Amino acid sequence: MDDHRATRLVETVLRCYPARWRRRHGEEAAELAALLIRDGTPAGSVAWSYLAGAARERFTPRPGRRLSTVACALLIAACSLGVSAGLLASTAPATASTSQARGHAHCRPGPAEPAPGVSTAVSRPQVIIWEAGHGRSC
Amino acid sequence: MSRRDGRAGPDVLHRAGEASALILISLADGPKHGYALIQDIKELAGVELGPGTLYGALDRLERLGLIEPLPAEDRRHPYRITAPGAAALRVHLDSLERVSAAGRLRLRLGGI
Repeated sequence: MDDHRATRLVETVLRCYPARWRRRHGEEAAELAALLIRDGTPAGSVAWSYLAGAARERFTPRPGRRLSTVACALLIAACSLGVSAGLLASTAPATASTSQARGHAHCRPGPAEPAPGVSTAVSRPQVIIWEAGHGRSC
Repeated sequence: MSRRDGRAGPDVLHRAGEASALILISLADGPKHGYALIQDIKELAGVELGPGTLYGALDRLERLGLIEPLPAEDRRHPYRITAPGAAALRVHLDSLERVSAAGRLRLRLGGI
């Protein structure tokens, strides 16, 4: 990894720290990372160490910090995970129905294709009924 | 601080972790900033502290009043050990020596 990319990686990870920490240690931490990388420490290792430190900094309860702050942070993280899982779960049946509809041409909504030799005097709208996850046209 | 059993005060470094003890040992011979601490601890103990671990331990030690920051030199903040820090380090090293001596004695008694 070249110096520019390594610097950008470390700067990105340092943004994970709380603002208070960055004001205090930010510049020194970036300089320390540059020195360590120059000495041959892999940039990924430096970045990982800072990332773990940022997680500890954010989620370790402190005597001076109210527990509710930590609880709120954990709650937000849990909610984010829950919303993501919910979105994934809600898109899964839609994806399944789309693929099923593609697989069965007769299940497509819209006017039915006339059979050879049969003329359709009146075109009926098709209704799709969901039965145990299988869409059937009738 | 003295206790009824004649030992010094509680070993506050016992729960602060190995990195904290190594930092205090490194600062015992004079103030150092982050990079110098990492290099010194590498030579002293063969342990390469990650920068995230280093800053976490420095913050913890400062909150405990065992070290204090000195005025910044350029962008670097040197730290020095405080009197309570030196006392805590002595207690911790005494504790380690007792455990070490007990371990060596048991090895001899066990004939290992």
